[in-house]
Formats: sequence, C-alpha cells, structure tokens
Amino acid sequence: MKLVLEPEKCTGCKLCELACSAKNESVFNPRKARLKIINRYIEAGREVKGKFCTLCKKCLEVCPTEAITFNGKWLTVDDELCSGCGECVDACPEGIIFLNDEDKAAICNLCEGTPYCVEWCPRKCLKLEVEE
Amino acid sequence: MKSYMGKVLRVELSSGKVVEEKTKEEWLNKYYGQKGLGFRYLLEDIDPTIDPLSAENEIIFTPGVFAGTIISSGGKLAITSKSPATGTITDGSVGGSIGAEVKYAGYDAIIIKGKAEHLVYLYITPNKAEIRDAEFLRGKGTHQTDFILKKKLKDEEVKIISIGPAGENLVKIACITSELYRQQGRGGIAAVMGSKNLKAIAIKGWKDVTVSNISSFLRAVGEINKKHLLTPDNSWTNSDGTLVFGDFMNDGGILPTRNFQTGVSPTYKRLHSEMIDKRKKGNKACFGCALGCGNYIQVDNIDLEGPEYETLNMVGGNCEISDLKTIVQFNKACDDLGLDTISTGNIVAYIMEMRERGIHDFGISFGDVENYLKLPEKIAYRKGIGNELAEGVRFLSEKYGGKEFAMHVKGLEVPSYDPRGSWGMGLAYATSDRGACHMRAFPITEEVIEKTVDPFTFEGKAKLVIDGQHYNTAKFSIGICDFWALDLNLLARLLNMATGSNTTEEDMAKGGERIWNLGRIFNVMAGFRRKDDTLPERFFSEPLPEGPAKGKVLPKKEFEKTLSEYYQLRGWDEEGVPSKERLQEIEVDKEVIEKFERYLNRR
Repeated sequence: MKLVLEPEKCTGCKLCELACSAKNESVFNPRKARLKIINRYIEAGREVKGKFCTLCKKCLEVCPTEAITFNGKWLTVDDELCSGCGECVDACPEGIIFLNDEDKAAICNLCEGTPYCVEWCPRKCLKLEVEE
Repeated sequence: MKSYMGKVLRVELSSGKVVEEKTKEEWLNKYYGQKGLGFRYLLEDIDPTIDPLSAENEIIFTPGVFAGTIISSGGKLAITSKSPATGTITDGSVGGSIGAEVKYAGYDAIIIKGKAEHLVYLYITPNKAEIRDAEFLRGKGTHQTDFILKKKLKDEEVKIISIGPAGENLVKIACITSELYRQQGRGGIAAVMGSKNLKAIAIKGWKDVTVSNISSFLRAVGEINKKHLLTPDNSWTNSDGTLVFGDFMNDGGILPTRNFQTGVSPTYKRLHSEMIDKRKKGNKACFGCALGCGNYIQVDNIDLEGPEYETLNMVGGNCEISDLKTIVQFNKACDDLGLDTISTGNIVAYIMEMRERGIHDFGISFGDVENYLKLPEKIAYRKGIGNELAEGVRFLSEKYGGKEFAMHVKGLEVPSYDPRGSWGMGLAYATSDRGACHMRAFPITEEVIEKTVDPFTFEGKAKLVIDGQHYNTAKFSIGICDFWALDLNLLARLLNMATGSNTTEEDMAKGGERIWNLGRIFNVMAGFRRKDDTLPERFFSEPLPEGPAKGKVLPKKEFEKTLSEYYQLRGWDEEGVPSKERLQEIEVDKEVIEKFERYLNRR
C-alpha cells in the first residue's frame, strides 16, 4: 500500500501535513510532517505535487543500527535502536524524513494502514492505494 | 496562552533596531489576534493625528488565534495602520500561507516603525530578524519580487509579502501581495510600506503551534468540519467562489455598472459562466483551509488566480469592459503592480464618466479597451495622468469637480454593491471604520441575498448594521475568514478549544463591540465626526434607472435619523463620540479609556 495524489484536484491546502504533525508529533507544524505538498506559483504557472513515502526503502538500507523495518506493508522505526544519526534523512529521495524532538527518525508508517492525512484531505485527492 | 506564540517582533527601520518583547497577555483576552490586537497596538503606539506616510506611522502584522492550526479559514494575516487613503485606522487581511508562517516564526505580531535610508526587506526566522538591502528589487512587480527573493534566499518555501511599484511610489490605492494573487487590498497600506522603504518581508518558520488538548481538538474540529464547514451551504466557495455574489447583486439591481449609473449589468452573467465553465483549471486554497475558494484560470496564454467578484465587476462592467481576456489582463497587471482592483476600477470608471459629462477629459471613455489597459502601469509608476489617478477619486473630485458622482466614503472608493437597493448597506458604508468597505457589516445578506428584510427601509437597520459590525469584528479578530459564515457560538467554542479559555457567545459579541470602539476612538482622535459618516451624493439624489431598485435613492433625512439612532444604540453622542460609561461597560481596558479622556479634556 502507498499514498497517491491526484494533483489536478489538489487545492494545496496542506491539511494533510497539519494532520500528520498533529497525529504523530502532537503539534501543528508542517516541518514535522512525514509528507509534503508543493503548492506554489513558479514563473511557468502553477505547480502542485506531493512528496511522500514511496516505500523505496533507501532509509532502511542505509540505517546502521537496523532500526527501520518493513512488514510488507509499511515501515516502522524502533526508537530504542535509532541512534539519531540522520543517515536516513540524507538518503530519502523525497526529502521527507526528519529527526523529531527526541532525535529519532520520523518516517511515515502510513499510520499503520489508516493514514490520518488521507482522512483529512477535503478533496479526497490524497488516497491510499492498496495493491491487490 | 495556548495557540498564541507569546512574542512580538518590533522593527525600527530608522535606527535598524530589531527587538523582541513579550505579547501583552492581558490584551489577548480582550482583543484576541488579527484586527483586535492590531488595533490595540496601533492605538498604544501612535498619535492618531500623524501623517500616515511619515516615519511615525506603524504597520502591524497580526495573525489570527487559529493560524497555523488545523482550523479552516483561520490562517489570514491582518495588516493594520493609519490609512493614507482615508486618514482613518485601517486593517485588511491577506490569505495564503503568510499568516501561519508568522506564527511558525514565533510571533503574535510584527510591528514596524520608522523609515529605512534605502529600500530594504526583512528576513525573519525563529533565529533572527534581519533588515537587508532590497535595492535590487526596486521597481519590480510583486510577482518578480516573489520569484527573485526565493532564488536569492535559495528557498522555494519561504513565504513572502511584498509591495509593487505602486507601493514604492506611494500610490494611495496600493495593496500588499503574497503568493502573487493574495492581497491585502484596501486603504493603501502598501504606500505606508513604501514610505518606510520596506519592499518585502520574507518569513520562514519552524516553531510548533500548540492547542489546549490536541487529540480532543482534532476530533472536535473534524466533526465541526463535517457539520458546519463542508456543507452544501458552503459549496459555493469552491464551485464558483466569490463570483456567485455578482449574480445576487445583479438580480437585486445593485451591481454597479458605468460608475454606479445603474445597478443592472448586461454582461456579468456571461463573464461569470465563461470563467467557471470554460476557463477554470482548478481551485487553490489558503494554507490549512478546506474550503479552497481560489479560482485558478487560464485565458489563452494568461493564467491567473481570480478575478474575484469585486474585481470582475469593478474593472469590468463598472468600466463597461465586457471581454474576459481584457479584464484578466488588467487584473493580473494590478496584482503584479500592487494595485487594489476595487479602487482602481472605481477611479477608472470615474474618469470615464468625467469625460462623458464634460467635466474633465483624461482621454478615456467607457469601454475604451486600448487606453484602459495602459492605466495600471501609469497609475503604479505615476506616469502622465497616472500621477493624479494615484491619489484616488476624492482627490480628483476636489480638483476637477463632479463630487456628486465621486464614489467614495472618507476617501475609500465604494466597492461593488450599490446601497440604493440595500439601504442597510448604505449605513454600513457610512459608519465603517475605514470608509466604504463591504467587510465591516454586510446587511446585503438579509436585504438582497436571503431577502428576509425589506431592502428599501431604514427601520431596524441601525441594529442590523451594529450586530453585523460586532460579528465581523469578533470573527476578524479571532481570525476566521469572511467565507465561513459560522455563528458566534461556534466561534466561541473554537476559541475555547484552541486556547483553553471559557468564552461564551455573548462574550464574542461584546468583544466585537469592544474592538469596534477602539477603531472609533482612534478615528475620533484623528478628527473624524458625524459629518464624515456619510455617502456620495449620487446615492441620496439620483434614482437607479432600472431593475428591482428602479427609482430608489437613500432618503437623506431618514438616513440622518438612522445615523442618530445608530449612535444612540452604540452609546455614542450625536457627533459619534463614544461615552466613557459604555466603554467601561464593554470593558475596554483602562489605559485606553484614560487616554481617550485626556484627549477629550484637552479639547
């Protein structure tokens, strides 16, 4: 399963980012969200795109303490094993991993199958795609 | 207090001093955020009689209480100052992401005073606030300013508000822009920024915004969204956006056409449907808002977020311009140059009528597309006739004549609603704290849209307008956008959920009255009295020629009687001066009451 965005329907409201930081970090702060919506005007016009975990598992590959595991559906960080080295932050091609206030890797775990970001999307353009 | 940041940033541009201070917490319970907090700081800091374009004037940026949280429509940033267009206090708010970003940077208010020696911009993060050279941005439009500053800061996500050449050149109808198409539109505050040599503010924040109890907060807001926000009643916000208003106004015969010569437009409906059915590419939302009202459109090779209703009609039908592409070009030019489209459309229509009546010839007639498209640049750079147009309709009427059809109140050009078919709206314009403004009270809802109240009477209108002013003032101080028509009970509930306070619906109305009186105190101290609370002569003496309001004017005698009733209900004297008793009753803070008393005693 993974997140998908229909950019043509997305208004760029970023309620998904706020929902993510609220649920996972107990604060409102888009810089502490495990996904990112780009919604801006560039010289060529409007740009809308989403950056979220594609399950490429590069974070898991570079993790020196084996704190990141994949259960076939989503990634999990074991905070006891995570040393806060930041290797995963640098390795993430989407740039959406960060170290939280406890210096632990914050990685999208799809809210264990029921992503809160999807629940808050007002246009239903952020969806959880489940493979058959 | 939860959901506030606890700090105010003060920037003194003359000395280059930047200081942080604690937010006056005792003011938050009385004046909240946005408009209320901005008014309170301005009243504290400046002498209301100063020249708005002097270094002594301040410009105050205040986000709302909910900015940065997950409450929809709560992310606007109020901008307060003494207006160079009217000389009154003024506040306007800008959408987009900038309001939340001020909170994420750690501030409840950013207060700017003084005048920099050369053009500068501010770069603000939670780590520091710096005054930086901006000469490389001189003369640049707000769109280029956005792109260039992001490149210079190597940061695509930094949030920017800026002024265009209009603000730099102290044009009285200059507006402040964020994210290309989000404007603080009215009252010429961008000229205050220009007078301070402040081109832009770039903000990047990463601080947390917290609320009283986040898990119950999320649950409650989710339920409120389902029940009260994402409802069929509010679906207009994302299907058509503000354009729906024009159809109501046209049907009510109060859609300003040919400089308010008539209230029925032959073109509006077609323009509206062309925009939505053929040109709309999608919606763009402000940060954190589920409504998502911005219409992103493309006409041939021009793209734009807008035009909003006000623009579509004021620079369209009001100037007898009927081609969408022309209007879009004009709109985009105004946004980039930093011009308020309402005032611009009003001024252009005024000089068109001046020519028609032989009062003065600025070389442009109704419907003259070629000359029309040249005007935004002329006004913004004060080139040729633009130098005088930049001063607004009042100035032009005082210099050349034609005051009776100069459509302004206190120097602010009338927006896109004709009060001859909505008499309550006439009283709302006359008594608004910043001149002809549709955002202070909007009795048109009852008089024209819902049709629950007779539009052609003043009976009951004083109270209707007062209630509307208190409602909007509470809403725009706590910080909810105009487009969510929530009731005061729900507003109080949201406030309690975010801050942990114990506010009631009655407190909200009282808070609205308290803040409304701050504005009046400022304006009285700036010299405003009853004689200023009036309307353009056309509304009193020239009957509308067609439509549902055909033959109607606002009867002047009745208007004056209603104004007296309005003052009485407010506990103000016959000149519109608030009484000490009422100020105490509504719990305006002691310092303000004493300051006002000192002023009254000196006179």
